[in-house]
Amino acid sequence: MSVSQDISLNYSAPGSDIFVNESSNADKKVHIRIQQRNGRKTLTTIQGIDECYDLKRILKVCKKEFACNGTVVEHAEYGQVIQLQGDQRTKINDFMLKLGICKKAQVQVHGF
Amino acid sequence: MTDEIQVQEEDNEAIFDPSMKKKKKKKKTPFDLDAALGGEAQNDEAEADADASTENVDSGTKPAEKEAEGDGETTTKKEKTSTDNFDDLDLEDFTAMKKKKKKKKTAFVMDGVEAALPEVDDSASKEQAEEDVPMATEEMPDMEDLDITKQKKKKKKKKKRIEDMEGEDTVDAVISKEEDNSELKDTSGTTWVGTERDYTYDELLTRVFDIMRSKNPDMVTGEKKRFVMRPPQVVRVGTKKSSFVNFTEICKMLHRPTEHLLNFLLAELGTSGSIDGNNQLIIKGRFQQKQMESVLRRYIKEYVTCHTCRSSETFLHKENRLFFLQCERCQSRCSVASIKSGFQALTGKRAQLRAKAN
Repeated sequence: MSVSQDISLNYSAPGSDIFVNESSNADKKVHIRIQQRNGRKTLTTIQGIDECYDLKRILKVCKKEFACNGTVVEHAEYGQVIQLQGDQRTKINDFMLKLGICKKAQVQVHGF
Repeated sequence: MTDEIQVQEEDNEAIFDPSMKKKKKKKKTPFDLDAALGGEAQNDEAEADADASTENVDSGTKPAEKEAEGDGETTTKKEKTSTDNFDDLDLEDFTAMKKKKKKKKTAFVMDGVEAALPEVDDSASKEQAEEDVPMATEEMPDMEDLDITKQKKKKKKKKKRIEDMEGEDTVDAVISKEEDNSELKDTSGTTWVGTERDYTYDELLTRVFDIMRSKNPDMVTGEKKRFVMRPPQVVRVGTKKSSFVNFTEICKMLHRPTEHLLNFLLAELGTSGSIDGNNQLIIKGRFQQKQMESVLRRYIKEYVTCHTCRSSETFLHKENRLFFLQCERCQSRCSVASIKSGFQALTGKRAQLRAKAN
């Protein structure tokens, strides 16, 4: 509790804890989602990667590693989001954990 | 005599029922029958054990007796009363028997353990039916000993031991020894009360378990109540849609509003959908039952089971735009994550979207 309060002071956004979580990098969740497209095709989206990383470079490596295409999408609310073609949820999860882009507790995998 | 005891025993069993596991309950009937028939010579091993235990009992009690005699009048009186009626004895001569008790205690605790342990091993290897037999046989010699009625005390000691064992799902044979003192429940917990000696760890342990059992009988009988649910029925509708047939049924089972589960499913699956006229959920996209199960499982984990005690008797209520999960069993209350669908990529045709916008 005390920690979160400190953070809220740092970000000069005092208020309920929810907002604090939103703005603090430590607790920020990384959501990995899947979406169905037409047929058996799917999209994987990764939302909430820390802004200190260059998503384009991450994407470049991912594309090569997973043998898929992808893009970085700008979203007004959620910031930069990586999109990958196909179901790459487990792969991207392992990848991010391996490189230490995010912690295990941060990652939240959605979908079936 | 044996008949009488049997009756008492049954009563006792009834008292002890809550503390026993279901398995044991089943066993009870055959075990009583055997005992009544006197099926002694059925199992050699068991008999040997029983004999050993009775012998131990005798040796343990004898020295104590001698001491008691030395005390004089009080003890003799007590002896008489004891023959007349068992039950009073325990209550009356706590003080007089102090010495006796101590002696026996040590001897008996050991005996109880020794007698019980081999029994466990044997029975474990045998099948249930066979397990019942040794119990019966062991009981018989013991009963005879008891007839003499010299020592109420000894019984008690053993009994205590027995309760411990019960807790760990051990032999029923042991239980059979703890017949006639029907009031043992009360005394067993606080044997040290009238005496000068300190309580032992085991006694405290039994006491605490007794209290727990008496206060909430549910906990004892049910091992963990597992949360069982009917599987979701998911059927393909056409090529692009899936139907969750028993959706409302499942909502009812979970005691959650349909919208809540609906929102969760749609957000989690990243699609759209709605409830149709037959109360089934139509979701866009192809989903299989297995996939739906995993999503449902996640829902239950987050929004149904209590995060503290894991019971499913909870309810959700909304406060200041936040959902709180309140447990009815442990009364804990915690906020749960709000359902957010998050970022949704464009999957439809862009041309269509543009046309719509215009």
